[in-house]
Amino acid sequence: MPETWRKFLLGILLFLAAGGGIGWLYGRPEIGLLVAALAALTWQVYRLLAFDRALRTHDFGAFRHGEGIWQQIFSRFVFTDERAQRHKRRYTQLLREIRNSTNAMPDGAIVIDDNNEIIMCNRAAKSLAGLRPKKDRGQRVDNILRNPDLTKLIESGDSDKSIEIASPVRVGDWLNCRVVPYGADQKMLLMRDVTERLRLNKMRRDFVANASHELRSPLTVISGYLDSLAHEEGLAEWQGPITQMQSQAQRMNQIIAELMQLSRLESAGRANLNERVDVAGLIASTRKAFAGMDGVPEIRVEADPKLRLLGNGSQIESIVTNLVSNAVRHTPADGRIKIRWARSGKGSSLSVEDTGEGIAEEHIPRLTERFFRVDRGRSRDDGGAGLGLAIVKHILSRHDATMTIDSVVGEGSAFRCDFPKSRTVMEKTSSKSAQSMRA
Amino acid sequence: MEASNLTDHISRRFNKDIEELRNSVLAMGGLVEAQLSRAIAAIVSGDSELGLKVANDDYKVNKLEVTIDEECSRILATRSPAASDLRLIVAIIKTITDLERIGDEAEKIGFLASQLAAMDRPSDSYRELKYLGNHVAEMLRAAMNAFARLDVNAAVDVVREDDRVDEEYDAITRQCITFMMEDPRSIRRFMNVTWAARSLERIGDHAKNICEYVIYMVQGRDVRHTETLEQTDLSAD
Repeated sequence: MPETWRKFLLGILLFLAAGGGIGWLYGRPEIGLLVAALAALTWQVYRLLAFDRALRTHDFGAFRHGEGIWQQIFSRFVFTDERAQRHKRRYTQLLREIRNSTNAMPDGAIVIDDNNEIIMCNRAAKSLAGLRPKKDRGQRVDNILRNPDLTKLIESGDSDKSIEIASPVRVGDWLNCRVVPYGADQKMLLMRDVTERLRLNKMRRDFVANASHELRSPLTVISGYLDSLAHEEGLAEWQGPITQMQSQAQRMNQIIAELMQLSRLESAGRANLNERVDVAGLIASTRKAFAGMDGVPEIRVEADPKLRLLGNGSQIESIVTNLVSNAVRHTPADGRIKIRWARSGKGSSLSVEDTGEGIAEEHIPRLTERFFRVDRGRSRDDGGAGLGLAIVKHILSRHDATMTIDSVVGEGSAFRCDFPKSRTVMEKTSSKSAQSMRA
Repeated sequence: MEASNLTDHISRRFNKDIEELRNSVLAMGGLVEAQLSRAIAAIVSGDSELGLKVANDDYKVNKLEVTIDEECSRILATRSPAASDLRLIVAIIKTITDLERIGDEAEKIGFLASQLAAMDRPSDSYRELKYLGNHVAEMLRAAMNAFARLDVNAAVDVVREDDRVDEEYDAITRQCITFMMEDPRSIRRFMNVTWAARSLERIGDHAKNICEYVIYMVQGRDVRHTETLEQTDLSAD
């Protein structure tokens, strides 16, 4: 039994005993006991009511000091109450800090549940996408932001993909949107203002396209005059320099052509990517084109003639020629080049292997950068413009394909392009063509 | 116990049906908004391919209209909705008609864009059409937002905005007439510009209609063909 209880009960007992004792002195102990009990009851009822009033008015003055049971109850109550208050204050402040920090974020963030209903969004979501942080709670986000592409993205729940949509409130601005999983059954829609980045990209593309276009016409004049000078009778001693100038002009021409192809690939989004491309045929014609040249190593082809690729014919052709011409340039005449076009586990793959000088491991990740050269001093004169693999990479990403490069210095390199199943088709008309051939 | 479960179940299904209906109307609105903004972009950038693509994509809007219409009839027939549910269905039936017309106008604009792309382009790339187009697109967006949020005040703002669109349309028409008088060879081109402006102006009218349906849906009052909205008391009661 706690100390306070003992004191409390003892006090009451003593009080009752005292009342009984006084009554006994007068010969009526029961009356004395009754009076004492009534007095004790009245006092406790008074304390109870006072306590209730103190709780209601929060004026605890009468209970703050002393050691009776009521003071004990009071101090215990105040302790828990104050602790609860303190917690509440702390959580409110924490919540305010979280809200402040999400509001300070420059990116829009919208938390949605599995039904796409908005749970919470920050201030940037308001300024970027016109959401109302308080009023739109519970609204479906795809009902407010009705962009069909965005709806598709949210449905797919693919956190690796991001799309660009026009800002609904700021005309001309673009938002990059991503959906990431968040908590249990929740998603967070993130949007970032990419207007400036897209503008810079466009400026760069336009600059490259314009510059290469503008460089082309003076170059045509220069190489035209060089051609006629080369056949001039009286300039025999200038023959060497003129030939060199011609080859350099031709190289520049090629660089410009490749730059223009690259900028075309970057800007035009609407090339037909669903032609049925006969890759085996492309390989055969490329091989024929190279086989006639001097110093070309032996080219072996292993291609499945029935296998077709869904893609853009001229772009795929550019992949094949770029890869093969790279291999030819880096392989000595007694080497070997092997081109394969076949089905693979995940779809189809095109690979070009050579027994050339190989590429050091540290250069491989940078091979697809524009104008990247492994050996700056040496490879000026071998005819490459340094854009071939950048073009290949661009075309491959257009076709949802990937490229892997394996290489050992001194033994050779292998470039493999993997196309997905969705772009691989088998030609079914082969039996018909076989029949027609028989007929 | 059993019976109350059953009614709860039915009304929940009903709620879900109505909610899905609303969602698909807003999805249709999103598609129409996208069509309109692409059509405007096609005119401004002189992109004939994009213009034709907009014209070819109109079937998607039409298909949605038919689907939503059927769903509305189904709900009317099977649920016999009353009061606000009934107003919602009626408003939706009317809204999708206007949305479909907006889709048609966007199709027209896309087609006109592909024709304009083949002609001489003015140095300002049809700036007036761009302004009018953005203005109208903003109206349509605000109208669909008002529909989603059941926001009567926003709907009223859109209805009032329509007068400004009409003024801009008048200005473009006058300007086109001036150009045509100056140089009769440009008549063909400016006829197309006038048609495009006309389509945009019509889209503004349709957006205004949608907002009137929103007011009807929320407050149950028909504000169509009333001269001045200012005179009607809009405080929600």
